[in-house]
Amino acid sequence: MADFKSKKMTVPEAVRELIKDGDMMTFSGFTIWRRPMAMVHEIVRQGKKDLHLVEVNSGTHGEVLIGAGCVKVWESCFMGHELFGKIGANLNRKLKNGEIIVEDYSHVQMVMRLAAGSMGLPFLPTYCALGTDILNPEYDVLGKKGMRDGSNPRIPTEKFNYQEDPFYGERAVLNVPAARPNVCIAHVQQVGDEGTVKVMGQRYSDNEAMKAADKLIVVAEEIVPEEVIRQDPTANLIPHYLVDAIVEQPWGAHPTGCFGYYEVDGAFIRDFYSKTKTQEGFDAWAEEWILGCGDYNEYLYKLGFNRLDSLRANAAMNYSLRVKRGAR
Amino acid sequence: MAEVTPMEMIAYTGSRVLQDESIVFVGTGLPIIAAMHAQYTHAPNLLMIYEAGSLAPMLEMGMPLSVGDTRAARKATYLKGLCGVFELTQRGYSDFAFIGGAQIDMYGNICSTIQGEDYRQPQVRFPGSGGAGAMAANCEKTIAIMALEKRRFVKQLDFVTSIGYGDGSPDYRDKAGVMGSGPYRVITNQALFGFDEETRRMKLLEVMPGVTTEEIQDLVGFELIIPSDVKEMKLPTEEDLTLLRDKIDAEGYFLKRQVKK
Repeated sequence: MADFKSKKMTVPEAVRELIKDGDMMTFSGFTIWRRPMAMVHEIVRQGKKDLHLVEVNSGTHGEVLIGAGCVKVWESCFMGHELFGKIGANLNRKLKNGEIIVEDYSHVQMVMRLAAGSMGLPFLPTYCALGTDILNPEYDVLGKKGMRDGSNPRIPTEKFNYQEDPFYGERAVLNVPAARPNVCIAHVQQVGDEGTVKVMGQRYSDNEAMKAADKLIVVAEEIVPEEVIRQDPTANLIPHYLVDAIVEQPWGAHPTGCFGYYEVDGAFIRDFYSKTKTQEGFDAWAEEWILGCGDYNEYLYKLGFNRLDSLRANAAMNYSLRVKRGAR
Repeated sequence: MAEVTPMEMIAYTGSRVLQDESIVFVGTGLPIIAAMHAQYTHAPNLLMIYEAGSLAPMLEMGMPLSVGDTRAARKATYLKGLCGVFELTQRGYSDFAFIGGAQIDMYGNICSTIQGEDYRQPQVRFPGSGGAGAMAANCEKTIAIMALEKRRFVKQLDFVTSIGYGDGSPDYRDKAGVMGSGPYRVITNQALFGFDEETRRMKLLEVMPGVTTEEIQDLVGFELIIPSDVKEMKLPTEEDLTLLRDKIDAEGYFLKRQVKK
């Protein structure tokens, strides 16, 4: 077709063309699994600013963006690197210094916010995490800062509210507002060349995150013919027409893991965690692993074949039989 | 027998507390180890749920290091993502929540968000709620694990991340709209706690052999209920230790960690 515009882009093109300063963003994955690290590195390299992250939980990707000063607001429920770093050292430092705005929700509340966004609804009710300080009006940080005045159409005018059960007259429900990010960046195993997204293994809150955002950038380990990806429709998560850009970047989630392709590089994450507790430490780390590398492939060359090969998943088992999983 | 480490004691006690043919919502680390030990011993039909979306996997290829791990999905009975597991819990299908935290008060409320007086600029930012807030609200019973230290067992939390018995009033949980009966056990390396039915305050149930109830009270920032029949914590057998050390966490990812003095 003459007017068919290919969605294929490189990592730098996708960041340059689809991500703006101040964007509200969300991501695929869960803590240290299937995070779009190649894109995160490029966002740091291109110096994007004032990002507003809205995510179910964060992890290594969030720590890199926050450490690099790209993030103004973080709305989420969890920050850490699981076993490989118990807290988010960069979030901890920036928050202590008043350099970032944090709005707490609980896990399910964030899932419901993204689910509402993904369904085109303004809010959804839930019974999760009631009776906590998350729902204490004193701790509505965006509200206290006057950011819920309606001037930013992506920030809801209330953090939450309660409603009597209108149908059965039972317990009151908690309503949480839809999350409506500008962009979702997903890292998946395979995407069809027209954009159909296949996700293997655990799917976390990918469905909600990818559908809630206005723009969807899909980074895949492999771009495969649409013909092939349609042979097993049950494995597909997202229809191609929701996808704005497809990017092929093998190892693009390193050091986070990718089911069926590679393990979490625990030693690398632990090293990041221990080196980035100070801003100087972060800056030196970023210089070595992001800014000092012209692009993500250079980062992969720097990691080297041996390291990546030890992480590579056995094709039958979907996990590596060789890696010592982040042992001390 | 080699000396039992604090982490092993917590894992073993956690296993003891869990019941067969029940459903336990577990977080990464010691809860998973405790549940695996229970499955290998007295509770073969204990089902684990992970907040990343996996239900009742078979952990034949080793312990998952995080709930999003490939290993956490192995031969699961159900793998439907975050909504898929929490909707079942909200529907009333989870018996135990097995959670950690940074601070706990006498009514079993837990903080895992911050430490410090100013929420907006805290001294320490912890990971945050994660799934714990929903688990403590909607699982039938909550089991907490924590190192026994005065800075953790506090009079006043810096932030309520997960609901316990609130201010201790009889209908606090009902009024808050949560489902489960609430805090059930608090497991530490030196003592096992429960909650008094009348007052909903934390009650000492068992202590490590050789430790006095006064020593436990000294490590707690609020007044414990100390009944006259406090028991000794049961120590793991040689077989239990072999299971923990050689089979469940052979690489020592969690069990070899030290409790900070």
